[in-house]
Amino acid sequence: MELNRRDLLKVLGLAGLGVAGGGALAACTTQGCATPVSSGDALLDLWTHDPGYATFFTAAATDAALVGGSAWSFGVDVTSIAPADIVSRLITQAVAQRPLPQLAGLVIDQFPRVMRADIAENLFVDLTSLTEPLGDRLLKTQPYSVGGKVYALESDNSVSVMFYRADLFEQLGIPEDVDTWEELLEIGAGVAADTGQAIGMVANGDNGSIVNGFVQMLLQRGGSLYDADGNLTVVSEESVEVLELMAEGVRSGAFIALSDPYGGAAAAALKESQLIATVMPNWYEVYGLQANVPDQSGRWRARTIPRFAGGGHVGSTLGGTAFAVLKDQELTDAATDLLQRAYLSEEGQLARYHAGAYLPTLVELYQAPSFQQISDDYLGGQRVFEVYAAAAQDMPIFYQAAGASVLRDSLGGPILRAINGQIGAEAALTVGVAMYERQVQQ
Amino acid sequence: MSTTTTTTSTATKLRSDQRRWAPYAFISPFFLLFTVFMLAPVGAGIYLSLTDWAGLGEPEFIGLANYSRLLGDASFGAALSNTAFYTLFAIIVVLPVSLSIALGLDARGLKLRDFFRLVYFMPVVLSPIIITLIFGLIFDGQYGLLNAVLEALFGFGGVSWLTDPMWARVVVVVLVLWRWTGYLTIFFLAGLQAIPRELHEAAELDGAGVVRRFFSVTLPQLRPVTAFIAVTMLVNTAQIFEEPFLLTQGGPGEATLSVSMFVYRAGFQRHELGYAAAAGVIMFVIVFVLGRIGTRAFGVGRTR
Repeated sequence: MELNRRDLLKVLGLAGLGVAGGGALAACTTQGCATPVSSGDALLDLWTHDPGYATFFTAAATDAALVGGSAWSFGVDVTSIAPADIVSRLITQAVAQRPLPQLAGLVIDQFPRVMRADIAENLFVDLTSLTEPLGDRLLKTQPYSVGGKVYALESDNSVSVMFYRADLFEQLGIPEDVDTWEELLEIGAGVAADTGQAIGMVANGDNGSIVNGFVQMLLQRGGSLYDADGNLTVVSEESVEVLELMAEGVRSGAFIALSDPYGGAAAAALKESQLIATVMPNWYEVYGLQANVPDQSGRWRARTIPRFAGGGHVGSTLGGTAFAVLKDQELTDAATDLLQRAYLSEEGQLARYHAGAYLPTLVELYQAPSFQQISDDYLGGQRVFEVYAAAAQDMPIFYQAAGASVLRDSLGGPILRAINGQIGAEAALTVGVAMYERQVQQ
Repeated sequence: MSTTTTTTSTATKLRSDQRRWAPYAFISPFFLLFTVFMLAPVGAGIYLSLTDWAGLGEPEFIGLANYSRLLGDASFGAALSNTAFYTLFAIIVVLPVSLSIALGLDARGLKLRDFFRLVYFMPVVLSPIIITLIFGLIFDGQYGLLNAVLEALFGFGGVSWLTDPMWARVVVVVLVLWRWTGYLTIFFLAGLQAIPRELHEAAELDGAGVVRRFFSVTLPQLRPVTAFIAVTMLVNTAQIFEEPFLLTQGGPGEATLSVSMFVYRAGFQRHELGYAAAAGVIMFVIVFVLGRIGTRAFGVGRTR
């Protein structure tokens, strides 16, 4: 038989394609079902990006107040993974039929990735049977729902409030109880003209930060990106009003434009007392304020967000991390049991607050004495749950859809141009939505 | 007699077969690895580009739909345009700057030569994460070092380096320049040091000045090195990912989005693996064609 190098290459190429094709076909199947275990030792694998959750779950697994009476004896083995990588690895592990964790922490803006092509349904346990009995008492199930089924439980209600420098507000004569954004913006413009200080910030860096800042205000105003059915609702009177207010704030100097609300620029603005108030979720107190300006302890306070004159809420929400249970594994039932005990009981929610200042998701707990009595030293000993309770009672509902990341990339540029005054608010939103629809329809 | 003849004939055939197959056995490790790690992934990628697949479940064959979608996708157009800008900049600016620095480092009597080499090479060994973090601090619009210096020296400093589409692209290419110039300088320097001194001396005796010697001696002698660097830079920059991803995440809007970032975004953020594969195939074709054109234009591999 005559064989030259070219023939050899062809033969090997075809063989390689065959191997690849076989691999691809093998990858088309998901993990088979494992025989469930109903009691005994349960060492659960947990993937999360946040050391706070690792600490909490590790302690919760052996906390008799939480797991007493369970059929399992829990242990937790934590793997730390970046937020985006958790979803990627869950899918690749499932495709490759490699071991999956029993519990996975999904950051809220990563969840839309599992909302398409039945990924959530194939990977996660439907937790609706746990959440349904709680009804409206359980907050923030909507962002983690697909087709009306809840696939993950929120860890932190992420209630947005306004943090402000009480000492500087007093010094500058800014009332602490300004009722509306319109009034506050007028005061802020005057302060900016006099001292160069800002009473709020908008992001002008990456698309995620730009759109998140917009959405936080949009939800407060009563608008939304999507409705409960996943239909786009971003072009609305509320959206235009919010974007115009943001642009006006930047133009007048009442709002400072920062490339990264969590990075060096924000830290500098806080340290120099140029940013003297900001609307952010509860977790920003720990990750933004305490981390960057620990020396300003006692000078900050929290209050509910001023309303828009046109209506809306005094609270909003931004961010969050929910935990999902991976289905069809030996310890799936054990993981579901631990998650239920840790996330849907008062003891679990109180323990979560003490572990990482994660706010409860059961709405009645904001009025419970165990939470109401909590005072916050960084906020000058303020009874913070008086503020969080008011905001949580009036918190808007946030819906997501599979195309959320496309929407973020489509809206980021136009919103930035509107904030910079290069385009009108309505035109910016229309441009962004047109770009989104082109991509999603295709 | 007949048996002996048959045995001899069999042994001869065996030796002949061995001689025929032995070379293939020796070269087979390369071809096996090439097949497993190059041909198979490329084949799988091409197949994937003809499907709609989110990662789980069965890929659905959709023919050329992903390619026709790419043609109408403004984001992909923006990514192609940005990548072309980065590539052109790398060839037109980075290459000449590298050569200029190499000429400076090759000058006779230069003191602290090793120190300068170290300094110019340092960006290559620094982590891109650290580099982009520092660039972010330098080019921040509100609190950046550059704006502070501009403010102090010229009285203006309000440039939105990272949040204005045009300036953001410029910052990305500045990062490319800063990061890769030193690396390419090392290659040029090696090429310069390989040029025989006698050629310069002969040209000098013939009355050639510095400029004439550069164009008549240095550049022609550097042609193989220049060709290698140009093609390598062309291919690498056409696949640029780290710089815009870490510095601007493709923003503002999609002003700094590159084709590699587009592929990453489609595949790993949106789970459109078939679409990402189609964009990857197109990028492969473009890079391959550019590489071939560059190789031919610069005469890479040709004997002098």
